[in-house]
Amino acid sequence: MRPDLALTESGRQAHAPLAPFALLAAALCAAPALAVVLFSLGQSEEAFAAGALLRDGALGTLALVVVGGGGALLLGAIAAWLVSFCSFPGRAAFEWLLVLPLAAPSYVLAYSYASLTWAGGPLPVPIEGFWGAAFVYAIGLYPYVFLAMRAGFAARHTSAFEAARSLGVSTSQLFWRVGLPLARPALVAGGALAAMEIAADYGAAHHFGLTTLSTAIFRAWYSHGAPVSALRIAAVLLLLALAFLLAERRARGRARFDAARWRTLSLLELSPSARAAAFGFCALLLLLGAVLPLAWLARLALLHTNVENLAAPLLNTILLAGVGALATLSISLLIAAAARRDNRARFALFVAGVGYAAPGAVIAFGALMVFGAARNAGLVGGLGAGLALMALLWTYVARFTAAGVQPIEAGLAQAPANLDAAAATLGANPWRRLAEIDLPIATPSLAAAALILFVEIVKELPATLILRPLNFDTLAVKAHAYASDERLLEAAAPALLIFAAGLAPLLILSRGISRAVR
Amino acid sequence: MSVLELSQVSRFYDGAAALDSVSLRAQDAGVLALLGPSGSGKSTLLRLIAGLEPLDAGEIRLGGEIVSSATRLLAPEQRRIGMVFQDHALFPHMSAGGNVAFGLNRLGRAARDAAARAWLDRVGLSARIDAYPHELSGGEAQRVALARTLATQPRIVLLDEPFSGLDQVLRAELREFTLTTLAETGTKAVFVTHDSSEALTVADLLAILKNGRLLQAAVPREAYDRPASAAAAAALGPVNTFAGRIEGGALATPFGAISAPGLAEGASASAVVRAEAITLRPGELAKLRSLRPHGPHDLAIIEAAGTVWQALIPPRSALGDRVDVTLQASGAFVFSD
Repeated sequence: MRPDLALTESGRQAHAPLAPFALLAAALCAAPALAVVLFSLGQSEEAFAAGALLRDGALGTLALVVVGGGGALLLGAIAAWLVSFCSFPGRAAFEWLLVLPLAAPSYVLAYSYASLTWAGGPLPVPIEGFWGAAFVYAIGLYPYVFLAMRAGFAARHTSAFEAARSLGVSTSQLFWRVGLPLARPALVAGGALAAMEIAADYGAAHHFGLTTLSTAIFRAWYSHGAPVSALRIAAVLLLLALAFLLAERRARGRARFDAARWRTLSLLELSPSARAAAFGFCALLLLLGAVLPLAWLARLALLHTNVENLAAPLLNTILLAGVGALATLSISLLIAAAARRDNRARFALFVAGVGYAAPGAVIAFGALMVFGAARNAGLVGGLGAGLALMALLWTYVARFTAAGVQPIEAGLAQAPANLDAAAATLGANPWRRLAEIDLPIATPSLAAAALILFVEIVKELPATLILRPLNFDTLAVKAHAYASDERLLEAAAPALLIFAAGLAPLLILSRGISRAVR
Repeated sequence: MSVLELSQVSRFYDGAAALDSVSLRAQDAGVLALLGPSGSGKSTLLRLIAGLEPLDAGEIRLGGEIVSSATRLLAPEQRRIGMVFQDHALFPHMSAGGNVAFGLNRLGRAARDAAARAWLDRVGLSARIDAYPHELSGGEAQRVALARTLATQPRIVLLDEPFSGLDQVLRAELREFTLTTLAETGTKAVFVTHDSSEALTVADLLAILKNGRLLQAAVPREAYDRPASAAAAAALGPVNTFAGRIEGGALATPFGAISAPGLAEGASASAVVRAEAITLRPGELAKLRSLRPHGPHDLAIIEAAGTVWQALIPPRSALGDRVDVTLQASGAFVFSD
């Protein structure tokens, strides 16, 4: 057979030389999570019985998901309703300002609030323990619900709202009879994302001294020296996270967030007192979720920063996040380009999504087990600094590839559908098409993806904590170490830098969304 | 040897046939038009010819060479075909000149640029060589797409509803321009459309598809005058139908009898009458329910014995409440069921 005559199956598309590479890359992403499940099934000869820890951890995580996630749901839904439908001062600004709390990982908010409410701090309300964590989750994660609901309200159903109003549905009934039913998938999708974050969080739960699945993994591994027990807890956490991911995917499938079709609805006029209440609500969310913790960290950092102690972690963070983002980006591009050509490669997207749902601690321990097995087989030596960094980069790739694929796919999707076919019929082979068509078109979204990935890695705590080489501190690790020692004043500077890094992609993304709405 | 030959081409999606045993031979036809409603399989057939999708059974030959079969698939970039898309598919990050030059990368840089310039000149757009796709009007973009395709000197050009996004006037103008350019360059073409009058206008050979099946392949005059089936007749314009039995070598409709040579006496059959093959004059036979302007014709709705038909008649006809009806033999057919 001539080399240019390829055997094909009856798949929808014929030429997909990228698909095998994409599947391989996706397998790389899912491997640590699979390793956790595999090793957790092994025989345990540990004296430590994980039963009680697992039960307490599961109850703790579920309680936080219900209370913290429920709070995020309520706050996000109200904010989305106000901003989407009501006319009040500052509405247009709140449209994008209200996503700012996403810039801070939960542990940064936790450290800030802990020092705010300390004895002698400016806030007399104690924010601590279970309710403290639930508050931090609600105020930090409501933007997931806000974003999803706003898209749900505005995306495709504009005409449904207009039809309802023309049929005489009163403005007060509009929310209950039309808005909520139409936005319910979005509510579920946003809530599932918030739940995923809460389940995966290690730093805040640890700081508030709570037993959750995430903190239980660490305790079983380090305090009790029981790796199999730790992996069993990790496997339960993984299943929980996958359940949330599945809920999110299903809900989103029914309510696509299609920014290109956003259209601002005609707004409802409010009474003066209602306008004041709407403004007050949104302003309070912004204040508690971003302005107050950010300002407080900045004030502490100005007073207590020791620049010498910060230089090395900052450099390490930039290096690690830079290399990690580039590695993740190339895998993301490969998968996105393959999935665009070939429906079979879309399976790679799904597989990579498993890594995305898995909490950092789960993936890190999974990677650790794989390296341990390789060492036992004599394939590698001990987990020295070089190998540990490789394992860490692997966990970043596994964890964030799916996050990188999303913006790249969106960028590619903006190009006319037939570009690839047009280039093919003009005689360009698949690799020339990738280099001269896909890559240039995806360039702006590649930049956005790189920034998102960089910041995600800067914010990542548990995996970095587990796999970093000895004495290799990042900003996140440093903030966590200070906070664990009750040295919250010194934790402020690294926490502030993480917060600031998180703002950059948010500002760019939300500007893009606001433009799409107009 | 014909340029394009399809034999028993089938394509299934999830078990359902998008194309069912389609056989076609383009002969020496300049333009083969594929006509059908959406979902008829005409665009799928075009993608199969281009090699953008594999087929499940049958084979496709280009210039005598098998390019697609159940086991073989020549990559689209190796078929020396050209394709013009409904959305133009111009590369948004390249100028008009860059787009036309894209397929000429085997030439040296100077020769490539000269060829791109010459082709843009040919479609009357040399002044727009540096313009980017978003700066071009719909008609300009279509002409750049045509130049880009023809520049590679394909042995056959596939056009997928190339004018459907354009307004009527521009559409007719561009269609004429495209046909002329294709004829001048001696390029064979396959033209997909859902517009029957467009298909009749452009086609040297007309293939009518429906539900994945080929209803008829014929030159346009023959397809219009001698449809192979009721469905084939309906594909080329509005028709009226009536079901009955053959009596005395004809099928009697409420509006008149249609001779049915060759059909068995007493067999059940369907009459199919083109709306433009009905002539009306003041009379008694049928009730004239309404008469309204309809483009170059007037649209008359007539009723007799509970059957309602539509007729396209010369405008401003003076008719009363009741009319007599003549069915022109050239547009009235009987098919056995």
